[in-house]
Amino acid sequence: MKLVKTKEENLEENYLELHYDQMDEETGAVLERLRDTLKYIEGTYEDKKVTVAVTDIFYFEAVDKKVFAYTKDMCVEIKEALRDLLEEYEKSGFVRISKSNVVNIYKIKKLQGDLNMRVIIYLKNDEKLVMNRSYKKDFYDKLAKIQGGKSK
Amino acid sequence: MKLINRKNFISIVCISFTVLVLVKLIWEKAIGLTDPRYTENIFISLGFSVLITVILAVHYYLQRFPFVPVFAGQYLLTVGLVLGGVWAIGHMVPLAPTAYRDMFISVTIPFVVCAIIYYAVFFHQIKKANAIIESLNEE
Repeated sequence: MKLVKTKEENLEENYLELHYDQMDEETGAVLERLRDTLKYIEGTYEDKKVTVAVTDIFYFEAVDKKVFAYTKDMCVEIKEALRDLLEEYEKSGFVRISKSNVVNIYKIKKLQGDLNMRVIIYLKNDEKLVMNRSYKKDFYDKLAKIQGGKSK
Repeated sequence: MKLINRKNFISIVCISFTVLVLVKLIWEKAIGLTDPRYTENIFISLGFSVLITVILAVHYYLQRFPFVPVFAGQYLLTVGLVLGGVWAIGHMVPLAPTAYRDMFISVTIPFVVCAIIYYAVFFHQIKKANAIIESLNEE
């Protein structure tokens, strides 16, 4: 399967177009992964209903029994439990890092360790989150899985 | 992941006890020493193996707390229990003049080695993860 990337000026919205004769295994797998990625989630922002692309979400946070999704410039309240969100969007790169946080791996800038064995996660929006030691293994496994998937 | 559980607890105690006794015997053979308190020291080794396995098993439940206080607390607890044990044994049999110092060293060395390995693995994992993150971000 060939990947052709074309830069177009003044495009209203980015789009993907698939050209195929027979839907082979490789193409099917790519489509399956895209389906997991191109998802949207509904929530409330400043008393208005909004729809956010899952890929725009940096992390989910549970605060006082409420769940919020953080994008670059919004904090959207979501009516779903953190556990359900994780189950639903795990394939989109979300992984649990503490009891109250689920982070999007694709939005991480870098990791840093401190002397207390805590992993500080620096996000691309310059926020930082702390990973609990008990979630470290799942996080690294997920990262390795994503890398494995990409290199195939 | 819970590495030490009810099913494998006894096996881990047995393995660590065997390793400890083997190291003790090899060391004694190497320096040509005959242990005058062989039986007592064998039981102390068993007690030490049980204690270390319990301490390691408990570590799993303390993962949500900061590492340094947990590790320091576990070390102090182990040293306290071991030296307390030596003190209790001292009431029944005569102790070697260096008994307290020897037991203190026997506890401290494994803890220091474990801490160094733990830190090395921790920072290596972060380095490896950062390389993956960097490659994901470059795509």
